[in-house]
Amino acid sequence: MYQYDAIDQQLVNERVAQFRDQTRRYLNQELGEQEFLPLRLQNGLYIQRYAPMLRIAIPYGMLSSDQLRTLAGITRRYDKGYGHFSTRQNLQLNWPKLEDVPDILAELAQVQMHATQTSGNCIRNTTTDQYAGVIADEVVDPRPYCELIRQWSTFHPEFAFLPRKFKIAVNATESSDRAAVQVHDIGLQIKKNDAGEIGFKVIVGGGLGRTPMVGLTINEFVPREDLLTYLDAIIRVYNQKGRRDNKYKARIKILVKAMGIDEFRKLVDAEWSHIRGKESTVPMSEFTRLQSFFTEPNYEALTDNPEVLTAKLADSAGFARWFERNTFAHKKPGYRIVTLSLKKPGQAPGDATAEQMEKGADFADQYSFGELRVSHEQNLVLADVRQDQLVELWEAAKEAGFATPTLGLLTDMICCPGGDFCALANAKSIPIAEQIQETFSDLDYLYDLGDIDLNISGCMNACGHHHVGNIGILGVDKKGEEFYQISMGGSSGHDASIGKILGPSFAQEEISSVIQKLMDVYVSNRTDEERFIDTFRRIGMAPFKEAAYAKVN
Amino acid sequence: MLKLIKNGKIIDNEQIWIRDNDTAVSSNAIVPLARWLAEREVIGKVAGIWIDAGEGVEQLEGVDLAQFSVIGINFPAFTDGRGFSYARLLRERLNYQGEIRALGDFIPDQQGYLLRVGFNAFQFNDDVDLEKALLLNKSFSVGYQGDAIDPKPMFLRR
Repeated sequence: MYQYDAIDQQLVNERVAQFRDQTRRYLNQELGEQEFLPLRLQNGLYIQRYAPMLRIAIPYGMLSSDQLRTLAGITRRYDKGYGHFSTRQNLQLNWPKLEDVPDILAELAQVQMHATQTSGNCIRNTTTDQYAGVIADEVVDPRPYCELIRQWSTFHPEFAFLPRKFKIAVNATESSDRAAVQVHDIGLQIKKNDAGEIGFKVIVGGGLGRTPMVGLTINEFVPREDLLTYLDAIIRVYNQKGRRDNKYKARIKILVKAMGIDEFRKLVDAEWSHIRGKESTVPMSEFTRLQSFFTEPNYEALTDNPEVLTAKLADSAGFARWFERNTFAHKKPGYRIVTLSLKKPGQAPGDATAEQMEKGADFADQYSFGELRVSHEQNLVLADVRQDQLVELWEAAKEAGFATPTLGLLTDMICCPGGDFCALANAKSIPIAEQIQETFSDLDYLYDLGDIDLNISGCMNACGHHHVGNIGILGVDKKGEEFYQISMGGSSGHDASIGKILGPSFAQEEISSVIQKLMDVYVSNRTDEERFIDTFRRIGMAPFKEAAYAKVN
Repeated sequence: MLKLIKNGKIIDNEQIWIRDNDTAVSSNAIVPLARWLAEREVIGKVAGIWIDAGEGVEQLEGVDLAQFSVIGINFPAFTDGRGFSYARLLRERLNYQGEIRALGDFIPDQQGYLLRVGFNAFQFNDDVDLEKALLLNKSFSVGYQGDAIDPKPMFLRR
């Protein structure tokens, strides 16, 4: 993974010193609440319902075992011994003290980490596929490009006070889109042109929140050397033309919609024509430098399906289940990608205790070249596990609470922290996740239901990405009571779609039984090959709606 | 006399920021862009013009900017970042070499970024302590991107 040089290190060190001074001036009342607000947000610090929340950046989800151990130590010493991995591959601490944050940032800087631009109206952490670099069908490894974007966006002097937050995601496979590029402010799909040159299909104006939209293609192919000037052009247009009178209409998607993609493209092209080919054009030497950090580890020459694996698969249904759901094909023979699930029943989705983080770090050292990734679905990933060590890892992962074999199934939910922590939330989301986990605990049944994305957000800000869940649950406030609106038909992959609302909202205690009714409709209508989303797309909302609201006789 | 920070020093502010269309204009005035464009024939020599958020710099294409010793950019709120792009375009697109002055509700902590996009003068609101603001009149010692001071990104300098 990327390693800081003296320049990178100097920057994060100076940032820590800057924020230490800002915090001191705030606590001295030299710096007012309003002035401190965007400064702390651009260092990841929110003031939440009960305490500040600090969001630590995990650039494109890559973590070393040492970094994860440092995070575990920080949660223990400055928080309550756990953290929450978010859909944007970051880590959130729920209970730090404001006055401790400079010290936390200083500790992070020692392991080449920071909380820069994880919040605020600026360019946020760039995200990508958690399987980057280890799957067979990607065009190229997206991570050097993510690092290029990370450096370009970090302390970008022109774009620190945009109309609203700005999120970029990168995907590099044709077969799937685990980075959800169509629902980001800018989505980048890496591709090669007919001449074999690397570039990006650029999608703009996607996003969730109050006005969910699937993005539109603004450029079919931007050569990679022109990427940064093209991004500068888009964001320079947005910075000047985006709405600033209403925060709910300030995202780039509203501008693109209002202007129309063709008109927006014209403005971007006009801006680009001035800067294309100038100094910010990326030279080959920089691609080479960045690629050198993402070379293959020392894989051994192995073969697929070693005896120890096939024997256990035949012999243990539990292992076979875990293997089928929680591991994924690796590009190298004899290796497998393993997801350590953070969806254990009784634990909030995406939460990990300090002990789990340390265990995860140990597993990374022992089984996966000392590195991990955080996934958009709020799990941890070991990317390079030898197939002949899978049984051993499974046993250890079970003990650590990492082996819930439900990846991609109904209970592998995406879930925001909700009203238990977040000051913005209308309703709690974690108890809904718990209720669903308790109701749908029968693994055979879950397997039979197959792939279903269920996403839960505690409010319209949509941190739990409910719009793109096959089933989405949104917390709403009705006269001070917490209710839940259910939507169906969302998807975040290459076939991205925004879910539609099923009907009037439900009380908290009704949610599981409603989900059960939706599952019953699916099971009685599906064909052999159909996933939940396929059946929904074929038969439409009506039968689901009828079942969900049918009066009990 | 009011003071401002320019080129890293606190100095006397010798210009008058005229915000409306009625106040008489003298040769040390900084006048609204729209007013100057409308009245430039009669307005005569001025110290400069100022651009409000939302006006953009396109209207200045073709104008001889060398006649202005200062171009001001107003921040109606410090969170309104349009002026960051305007300054950069003045420097990089319109090749303006004179003073670019931040006006309005920007805050001392923004100076690092403001300097990098081309501002070199800072006329703070009255309640700002200029001695303290001067301590923040600097950027980080390194930056990844090219900027108005050095167009070369870090990847051309590593």
